[in-house]
Amino acid sequence: MADIATPAKAKVLVVDDSSLVRLYYRSALETAGFEVKQAINGIEAMEKVLSESFDLVIVDVNMPRMDGFTFLRSLRSSAADVATLPALMISTESGEQDIAEARVAGANFYLVKPVAEAQLVRHVCVLTGAAL
Amino acid sequence: MDDSKGGSSFAVHISPEQVQRFCEFLYRRTGMSFAESKRYFIDRRLEERITATGSSSFQEYFSLLRTDADQEIEHLINSFTVNETYFYREEHQLRCMTTSLLDPIVRRKQPGATLRIWSIPCSTGEEPYSIALWLMENWPQVDSYNIEIVGSDIDTRALKAATEGIYGDRALMRLSRDIIGRYFGPVAGGNHQIDEGLRNSIEFTRANLIDTKDMAQYRDFDLIFCRNVLIYFDDASRRLAAENLYDCLRPGGYICLGHSESMSRISPLFRVSRFPDAIVYQRPEADHG
Amino acid sequence: MPLIRGKKGGASGETSDAQQGALDSPDADSRWTAARALTGQAEAVPALALALAREPIPRVREAMMTALIRIGNAASIEVILPYLRSQDAGVRAAAIEALQAIPDAIAPFMTPLLNDGDSDVRLLATELARNMDASEATRLLCELIEREQHPNVCAAAIDVLTEVGTPEALPTLERCAARFASTPFLPFAVSVAMSRISGQES
Repeated sequence: MADIATPAKAKVLVVDDSSLVRLYYRSALETAGFEVKQAINGIEAMEKVLSESFDLVIVDVNMPRMDGFTFLRSLRSSAADVATLPALMISTESGEQDIAEARVAGANFYLVKPVAEAQLVRHVCVLTGAAL
Repeated sequence: MDDSKGGSSFAVHISPEQVQRFCEFLYRRTGMSFAESKRYFIDRRLEERITATGSSSFQEYFSLLRTDADQEIEHLINSFTVNETYFYREEHQLRCMTTSLLDPIVRRKQPGATLRIWSIPCSTGEEPYSIALWLMENWPQVDSYNIEIVGSDIDTRALKAATEGIYGDRALMRLSRDIIGRYFGPVAGGNHQIDEGLRNSIEFTRANLIDTKDMAQYRDFDLIFCRNVLIYFDDASRRLAAENLYDCLRPGGYICLGHSESMSRISPLFRVSRFPDAIVYQRPEADHG
Repeated sequence: MPLIRGKKGGASGETSDAQQGALDSPDADSRWTAARALTGQAEAVPALALALAREPIPRVREAMMTALIRIGNAASIEVILPYLRSQDAGVRAAAIEALQAIPDAIAPFMTPLLNDGDSDVRLLATELARNMDASEATRLLCELIEREQHPNVCAAAIDVLTEVGTPEALPTLERCAARFASTPFLPFAVSVAMSRISGQES
C-alpha cells in the first residue's frame, strides 16, 4: 500500500457500475502500490478525469447513463492533456469485432471479464510504465 | 450509543458490513462518498435516521430506505448535506459564471442582446438575488447586455417571501458590509430588505420542474442554476426534469447543479464541462449520432 | 441593470395525430418535441416503436424511451425489450435505464428475461431486480444463479444480491463459489456478498 515513504506507482481510475468489481480491482491495485479512484459510469469518469490527473483509466462497457465506448469517444475528443490518457477496456465480450471496436473508440488495451488479480496488476504495470 | 433520549429506543448495533452496504447504496444513488476518516460521521447519521424512523434494526431501516418510504431518501440526504439557503452560497459557481461561462455565451450575442438566467428552485430568493448582485459587482459587461433573471419555485409562500426580499443576518452572512450597505435597507426586527430596484428586476414565477406544460413556458435560457433538487427525485422524475431543462436551455447553454450533485446520477443529455471554479454541464450545440 | 420581464412562450396545442406524424420528421428537434408531447398516450406506442427503430440521435431515443415508460404498459415495455440485445452499448444502456425507472411494470417480465437464451440479456436483466422487493429479488436471482453457466451473469446477479439479498441467498451463494472456485473474481464476489448479507444478523 502506498504511503508517504513509498509514493504511489501511478494513479488509476476504475470505472465500473459494479461495486464488487471496483472493490476487487481497487484492492488488487492498492496492494500493488497504485493509487485508485473510482467512478460508476462514463459521466462520473469524465468529471474525474477532468478534475484530477490520472495515469490510466480502466473502463467497463455496460454502465448506465454513459457506456464505456461513449466515454472513450468523449475522452479522446477532450482537451489534449486528457485526450491522451491511456485506457484499458475490460468487457464481457471476447469477439474480434468487439476488440476492434474498442480500438477504434480509443482503448489502448482490452481484457475480457472476469479478470484475475495478477493479470490486472501486470497489465496496469505495463500500461503505466510502473515496475512489475 | 446511549439510549437515555427516548423511552423505548434501544441502541441499534450496526456492523461494518451493514455500514458498507449503506455506503454503497448512498454512493450509487447520489454519488456521495466518504473517506475512511469520515466513518464516525456516517455512523452517527445512520444511527440518527434509524432512530428517527423508529426502525428496530439496520435491516428494517435499509428496506425502508430502498423503497423510499416516507421520503426517507430526502431525509437521509438532508442529514448529510447542509441545506441552508443564504446569499452567495456556493460562491465558486457564481465566480465560474463571470470568469468562465458568460464570455463564450455573449461572444455569440450582439451588444444589447438578452442574456437569460434562471434560478430554479429559487426558494425565498437568495439565489436569484445573489446572481444579480454578483453580476453587478463582478461582471464588467453587466450594462452591455439586457439581463433577465427569473426565479421559480413550486412553493408559493417561498415565492411571496422572495418578492418581499426581507432577510435576517444569517442569510447575509457571506456578504460584505459594503454590499449590504449599498443594496439593502434596514427594516423591522433587525432585518434587511433588498432594494426595490433589485426586487423589481427579478421575475418570480411558480413552476414545477416535472410538469412539462409548466416548463414549456420557459425557453432560451443561457444559464440555469438548478441546485439541490434533482438529487431528491426518483428515476422517472429525474429523466423528465432533465429533458424539460434541456428544452429550456439554448444550445450551448449551461446548467449548474448543487455541489453534491452530478449528472452521472441524473441524465446523459448534458456534456460535462470543467472550468477552474466548477464543473458545470452544457446542452450540446449540436447533435451527433 | 435594465428592468425587464421575460416573455413566456406557449405550449404546443397540436393533436396526438399531428405529433405522431412529426415523429417522422427529418428534423431531430421536431422528432424530440413530438416524442415529448406523446407522454402518457397509449395509442402512440406503435408510432413510437417505429420511430425508435430508426432513430439515430441518442437524445431523441432517450425522449422516445421516456415517452414509452411514461405510458408504462406491457406494450410499451415490449417495445423497449429488444434493445437489450442491441450491438450498440449506448442503446443497451438507454434501454436498461428506461426499464429501471418502472420497477412495478417490469416485474412480470423478470422471469422470462432472466431465462433468456442470450447471456447478455440475462446479465443486463439482473440489474432490474435491484429495485424490487428484497425477498422477490433474492428468489429470482438465486434461481438464476443455480442454473447459470456464465460467470459474468453470476457476477452481475451477485452484485445485486450484495445490496438487496436476504439470508435465504446464502446457500445458493456458497454453491456458486464452489462451482466457480477456479474462476477469477467469482469467489471474491461471493465472499463479499455473503458477508454483507449475513452482516444483518450480527
